[in-house]
Amino acid sequence: MAQGGDTGAFRALFEDNRQQVFSLAYHYLKNPEDAEDVLQETFIKAYHSLHRYNPDKGASFRGWLNRICVNACIDALRKSKVRDAYSLDAQEAANVHANPHHSNPEKTAQNKEIREKIDQVLDKLSPKQRMIFVLRHYQEYTTREIADYLNSSEGNIKKQLFRAIEILKKRLKRFILEDGYGL
Amino acid sequence: MDCKKAKNDITLYLYGELDEEDRAALQQHLQECRSCAEELDYTKKVFKLLDEHQPAPAHEPNWESSWQRIQSGISRTPAKDKALLFPRWRWVYAGSAIAAILVIGIIIGKYWLAPSPQPIQTKSPTTISPAALPPTLSSHLEDLKPLLLEYAHYTPGAQGTKTLAVDEKIVRGLLLQNLLLKRILAEKDPAAAELLDDLDLVLKEIANQPSQGRQAPALIKDLINQRGILFKMEILKTL
Repeated sequence: MAQGGDTGAFRALFEDNRQQVFSLAYHYLKNPEDAEDVLQETFIKAYHSLHRYNPDKGASFRGWLNRICVNACIDALRKSKVRDAYSLDAQEAANVHANPHHSNPEKTAQNKEIREKIDQVLDKLSPKQRMIFVLRHYQEYTTREIADYLNSSEGNIKKQLFRAIEILKKRLKRFILEDGYGL
Repeated sequence: MDCKKAKNDITLYLYGELDEEDRAALQQHLQECRSCAEELDYTKKVFKLLDEHQPAPAHEPNWESSWQRIQSGISRTPAKDKALLFPRWRWVYAGSAIAAILVIGIIIGKYWLAPSPQPIQTKSPTTISPAALPPTLSSHLEDLKPLLLEYAHYTPGAQGTKTLAVDEKIVRGLLLQNLLLKRILAEKDPAAAELLDDLDLVLKEIANQPSQGRQAPALIKDLINQRGILFKMEILKTL
């Protein structure tokens, strides 16, 4: 088998899926450098595990890749490489840069406080719970898909999602009550 | 419906994961229970707060340098990587390898060394595998067949410039599927692997055609015919 041909096909696979893998890792780890590390680790692991992928089992290639990425993200977080490395100031600076209309300093400070609180709450969730929340809320995967990625039952995923949402609702109450947060 | 279930269903409702029956039951409950109606309202506000305070979109990484690092990662020997990544599984791997060798030995003894029950039967000399088609291979060949037939039956239009409309994503998917099967069958089934090599060539030809106008279906047709790809596929299916 020509190695060149293989990597050519694999590169096509990389190009089709890199954005989605990076986005998931970034939403979970909240740090672009760590997300990039996970991106690379995911594709390297996928390449070396290609023989284990069986399309007849009904899993799409993207789903299979997500499963690898999800586990790589959870591992990265568990190793605590990134948990404390995330700089809120850098994040805030990025936000201000991304949205030049945010010129109200009071509003900016409040946004920073809210994001800080959300991060604190997410950090208190278990790595798996946090992944379930990120996959459902930000990446918009169904609980059935998440169950597949995490090799768990849909019922168990829902139970953990409800707990995560409950914790977020409890801890963010102050901001909702203070601001009214009208719909 | 009790309030505890309603509370959980509110989350599923907001994520669009509630089926029609449960949705109707929740709506009924919300009309009767003020506390749960307020809970729905509050949950919507929390979701809005979360959505408005997502991490800022990251700058895209330098995809080319990411790819370079991936390439250097995949060129390392997987065995070494696996040992580094999963040292505690080394003994499991060793056990699995021994078991695999035993199973292969049994299969060789049973099918290849045993006298053939039908010595008169003649088969093409070949390249074609006596083993039953693995399900993945058979479904792959089924997936490919319409595309190959389209090219095999291609006749140039009056102007001689007729092109075939091909979905690039589908071709890439088939190419990848082909690659995966080649990896799986490379050692187990050389005949199937040979056919997959041929298919690899054809798919690459199709994938590498410029997407606008300058496809060369006649060349691809020749490639399919010269290598007898459809014939090999049919034979492989009937065995």
